[in-house]
Amino acid sequence: MDTILFNLIWIIPLLTVLVCVPISANHGKLLKTIHATSATFVLFLVCFLVYRVYALSGAPVDENAAPLFLRFFTNIPWISLFNAHYIVGADALNILLLALTSFIVWAGVLVSWNIKGNQKVFFALIQLLATSVYGVYMSMDLVLFFVFYEMEALCMYLMIACYGSGRRDYGGKKLTLTLAFGSSMILATLFGLYFESGINSWSIVELSKVVLPMDFQMWAFPLMFMGFAVSSSLFPFHFWSPDGHSAAPTAVSMLAAGVMMKMGAYGCLRVAMFLMPEAAKIWLPYVVALLIFNVVLGPFIALRHKDLKYITAYSSISHLGLIFLGLAALTPVGLRGASLQMISHGFLTGLFFATIGMIYERTHTRDITEMGGIMRKMPFLGVGFVLAGFAGLGLPGFSGFIAESNIFIGAFQQESTLTRIVTILAILSVTTTAVYILQTANRMLHGPLPQKYESLTDGCFREKLVIVVLAACLLFIGLCPTWISEFLDQSIAPIFDNISRVGR
Amino acid sequence: MNYIVPDILLLIFPFIVIGSRLFCSTKSNIPWRIANVGCIAIFILLNFIPLANGNGVFFLSNWRVDDFGILMREVLMVSAILGIWLSKDYFEHSADGRPQLHQIAEFIGAIAFATFGGVVVVSACDLVTFFLGLEIATIPMYALTAWNKKDLIGSEAATKYILMGSVATAFELFGFSYLYGFAGSLHFTDIQSAVAAGPSPLLWIAVLFLFCGIGFKLTLFPFYTWAPDVYEGAPTPVTAVLSVSSKATAIAFLVVLVFGPLAPIQEQIAPLIALLAGTTLFVGNLGALKQSRLRRFMAYSSIAQAGYIMIALLGPATIAETAIIYYLFVYAVSNYLAFFVFAIIGHHREEIFASLKGLSKQNPSIAIALAISMFSLAGIPPLAGFFGKFHLFFSGASTGHYAIVAFAVLNNVIALYYYIQLIKSAWVDEPDGHLTPIRLTRRQRSVVILLSIAVVVLGFLPFLSNNIFSGFTF
Repeated sequence: MDTILFNLIWIIPLLTVLVCVPISANHGKLLKTIHATSATFVLFLVCFLVYRVYALSGAPVDENAAPLFLRFFTNIPWISLFNAHYIVGADALNILLLALTSFIVWAGVLVSWNIKGNQKVFFALIQLLATSVYGVYMSMDLVLFFVFYEMEALCMYLMIACYGSGRRDYGGKKLTLTLAFGSSMILATLFGLYFESGINSWSIVELSKVVLPMDFQMWAFPLMFMGFAVSSSLFPFHFWSPDGHSAAPTAVSMLAAGVMMKMGAYGCLRVAMFLMPEAAKIWLPYVVALLIFNVVLGPFIALRHKDLKYITAYSSISHLGLIFLGLAALTPVGLRGASLQMISHGFLTGLFFATIGMIYERTHTRDITEMGGIMRKMPFLGVGFVLAGFAGLGLPGFSGFIAESNIFIGAFQQESTLTRIVTILAILSVTTTAVYILQTANRMLHGPLPQKYESLTDGCFREKLVIVVLAACLLFIGLCPTWISEFLDQSIAPIFDNISRVGR
Repeated sequence: MNYIVPDILLLIFPFIVIGSRLFCSTKSNIPWRIANVGCIAIFILLNFIPLANGNGVFFLSNWRVDDFGILMREVLMVSAILGIWLSKDYFEHSADGRPQLHQIAEFIGAIAFATFGGVVVVSACDLVTFFLGLEIATIPMYALTAWNKKDLIGSEAATKYILMGSVATAFELFGFSYLYGFAGSLHFTDIQSAVAAGPSPLLWIAVLFLFCGIGFKLTLFPFYTWAPDVYEGAPTPVTAVLSVSSKATAIAFLVVLVFGPLAPIQEQIAPLIALLAGTTLFVGNLGALKQSRLRRFMAYSSIAQAGYIMIALLGPATIAETAIIYYLFVYAVSNYLAFFVFAIIGHHREEIFASLKGLSKQNPSIAIALAISMFSLAGIPPLAGFFGKFHLFFSGASTGHYAIVAFAVLNNVIALYYYIQLIKSAWVDEPDGHLTPIRLTRRQRSVVILLSIAVVVLGFLPFLSNNIFSGFTF
């Protein structure tokens, strides 16, 4: 029963699209209600499944029914021509990422209520994007995984170029093509994984049991890792993110920064590092050197920008750098921190972009120098923005603090000097983060209110609901860190075991 | 015996269509209807032939029907059916600034002859039949390209095509003569055993000339230069048939050659294949970047696709043959979808990128169909094009040619750029008030919907991808 419900997660968004096909685009209200209902339903469904995985956590594990602690494990032959299977399953990490996605998709549908243009196509594309992200976090077969992973390119371009603002065509192309470049690097190595493993299987579970030939790993690992890192905007492939985010409509920014960029980090962990751990140990120090840019320079660039979305994009770049610091540390604490950061950053950046979108809808500008005193007119949106900012700069009590402290501890446990130096730099860079977040909040929310903003109104119920729910998630993770980190440890442990190849 | 029935029907079929002209008026729909019924009947008949008959069934020692042949026949029939559907409107009114076409019966007859040529290529067991097949497939295409007698561009294109085609034919014949001189026999099995016994310089010259000759027909680098002009000059349905049937015949020719007589030296000619594949797809992709006319754009796109198909030839026969057939199916459907959309636009406007402006606002359904076909050609999942390309790369990688696969995969990013360029014209650019509004007939609408569903579904539904291969026989 649970397994069927689990598979419904990605099927429901797709069905919603199909249901909406015969409805005329003139029935905007009906379409939106259907999409919102479906998103809400998936949200509750995933929350229920999180509870189910949690309830099962103590239960003994049958290696066949749930390999690698993957619950709801399903394995059905799919395309026999190249031996692809439909394999899905979720452990604690996956189900939490799925929960994050369902929250962001739900919020994304609600914030795009008044989007201009053909709403029918827009909401269909959101649901397709949701399908793709859900699929990535569920699939344990590399072909299935890649199909879902690459599907996003199709939705992203159309959504940004047709519904975005500013240089939307440029931003959309830049984002889509860079991501496609990343996925083509992944695709090139996938074939190698299949044929070099000697077992002719696409299954992540099966492949993780095999030690791949070292000379293959040595060229495949960096290619695949960087391929995934492109979508997590690791330097030098970060350039798509600011332009893409600033051109995208609110919901797409939320989904892109909130969940899509995590897909890259998740892929690095679950596919690249998990399947090729021997090469990972050799190559990851170089990744540490790359992420100095993300972590240290990202905040400084954000400091100089005046456009709210650019600021948030660079802040995302620096936060995703921290995820890579956690991954590259190769310690259980570091991996836990990285996973926590994926979830925490998803919520906080979702909240960030949601409030920015709502403010932009009213002020029609994202330039912070033109704004001021907005707190007086829109206290609710202002508070939402500040909460997201606090979580972003790692204030204790919010999720950001838990995640970042885990990453820093984990990275410092690593004995290499380089990692330790970068860790110290990263800790110091949190100060810069605080500077640009407080400076932005100050300029935008306080000070004299320009004449033209006298008639602005605060958020409506729908918008307040989004802010409250996302902020509650941030606070929940921040205030009950033990629950979530213990839960996560169940899936971190087997991943770490495989990466360090304990017992071989 | 039933193995040869569809071939005989296909041979009689064009005569029936052309003959039906004698009994009905010039404007009559009857030849078109007969053509439809005939093609669909042959397609269904082909699907009833049981597969997995090992080495194939022989007739008169040089006509062989094997699995690959049957499936190729299906691909060619699908292409012919869609081509016939596409051509219908061009006989009713003028399009793209060209005069209206005439003599639909002969037109369909020519397409059917070209299809039959493809069938001969996949069934041939000796060099003469093989060569005849290729010529039967090509000569009707010359006539089809110049079907519009009063259209200067079409005549120019046909002249170019016939000149280039004749040179290619000369190359092939030269290659065949050396192959015959080397093996001392025309039959494929004898040639294969002679090749297995040990290659000689004579064989290498033959191989080189054969690849040059087929390079013209398959639009491989550096023999592709005729393609953009011919695709541009020919009437749109001919361009569509040219880009699918003609290409399918040419690649079938290579498959028969590489996995038949030349099988013992496949490993030695792999670098040549990889080189041709890599340069072709790169040049095709670069050429497509700056195009502004739709058919010219499709010409470069199909040059690049030819490069992708070549990669599959690097793999072992079983994987390569299924990969190529699967890809041709998918490519045929996606390409025809694109051409149907272009044809709909061409009936009202000029066939250039600027005519697509504002399509998503005025005719969202066509814009969606266009996006589906373009993303499929670009190889974006979950559309069929991705699974087709994936299978091609799978075949290439199975023998360890990772470098060329990686090169092709990275080239896909360039391809995605120009396909997105087209989608941008339709989706992002603001509507232009000067353009004639577009209205769809019911037939156009239903074909576009049918093909769109096919492109979406053909890839990821396992029972379809299995059944097409087992020919619905389980």
